[in-house]
Amino acid sequence: MDGHDLTHDKMLEAFLAGDLGAAGVGQWDEHLLGCEQCWRAVREDRNARRAVQVLRQPAPAWLADKVSFAVEVAAASPGAPPSRRRPPSAGMLALASIAAAAFIAVSVLTHSLISAGSVGGRQVANARLPAAVAIVTHYAETLPAHPQSSGTRGRPRLELVRRRIAVLPDGQRITIATWRVDGLTAIVATADRFFPMPRDARLVSGPGMAWSAQFGTLTLYCANRRPSELVAARAPESTLRTLAATLPA
Amino acid sequence: MTGDHREFLDATLPYLDAVYQLARHIAMEGVEPEDLAQETYLRAYAAFGSYRGGNMRAWLAAICLNAARSQARLRRRRPWDLPVGGVLDDLPVARLSGQPEAADVADIVIADLDAREVRRCLAMLPEPQRLSIVLMDIAGYTARETAEVLGCPRGTVLARVHRGRRKLAQLLAESGVSHGRP
Repeated sequence: MDGHDLTHDKMLEAFLAGDLGAAGVGQWDEHLLGCEQCWRAVREDRNARRAVQVLRQPAPAWLADKVSFAVEVAAASPGAPPSRRRPPSAGMLALASIAAAAFIAVSVLTHSLISAGSVGGRQVANARLPAAVAIVTHYAETLPAHPQSSGTRGRPRLELVRRRIAVLPDGQRITIATWRVDGLTAIVATADRFFPMPRDARLVSGPGMAWSAQFGTLTLYCANRRPSELVAARAPESTLRTLAATLPA
Repeated sequence: MTGDHREFLDATLPYLDAVYQLARHIAMEGVEPEDLAQETYLRAYAAFGSYRGGNMRAWLAAICLNAARSQARLRRRRPWDLPVGGVLDDLPVARLSGQPEAADVADIVIADLDAREVRRCLAMLPEPQRLSIVLMDIAGYTARETAEVLGCPRGTVLARVHRGRRKLAQLLAESGVSHGRP
């Protein structure tokens, strides 16, 4: 430490961190006037702090949208994180034992309902979809209904609503984007590996092993080429087939 | 879709810039900082159910560090991935916004070179010093928040950042960088 003891160094750090009071700062200002070693340390500290500012770069404007989209997809996915837990109140604890008993009865009933069909309006709750298909499907369930056709002809008007994000369901890397085509909002997912065909899907004509599945008003159409492309929208299969050929992968 | 994700985004998005600053300096070669920021938010969302309050900004930074370390471990098991040069990452903002006039070009080039050199010298510091400087001087964390992220006392952070800055200043002086003077 070149003659400067540890206390000296600690005082210097406190001075640079702004931890010294007005009196302490005054004393150190005087000290710095007569101590070349400390003054050099202060200069080096300030120079480096200023120099690294050149590395600051604001986050791109689209990053918030990318992050929000990824979180929305995760929230819509099966196995989404549970609701945020809050510390239970005393009253809640007292009710817990009663609720536990009720839960057993209700869960038996719910299980039978789930086995029978849809629950709470979610059309695909019982579909047992492969993870890559499920993540697209559950997110697509939030899509609005297809508006009335505007009757326009010619080239479709494409608009990228949400830029591509990458997700890794079951280790399969897929990219998801949201497009609007002449008023119809569609989810387009692409993957290097084929999207597995769900149990309730059927083979249709199209590139590769194309398949289609219907969940209420939501339609999935998958063109299994390279890359494999899965389109989801509230529209007929024929429309999705056209979209798959139109939209950029 | 539950409303929880909206609550999560409302609580965390104000800190996206701080997470991004950190991600830019800890993402390994071949990993885009934007992807690391996204991974940070997905991990944070997954853990949001058990979040018990405290400093949200520091919590996100700690998750970002863990995500970067996980990616580094994963990458070590995949040695066939080719590193991608981070030249564009080093460009200062001026380069990316608007059309510079001819008179500005020399300044921009010098700033580019400075940024690259600062980045190179920063990378030569021991990791604890480098992380402390990135968190405090680039990402804008306080010494207390940095201590929380790195799991060490505040005094340790102050010592690390001071020693790191001095070492960095010496390295920059040796390489002829102008210390960010206008």
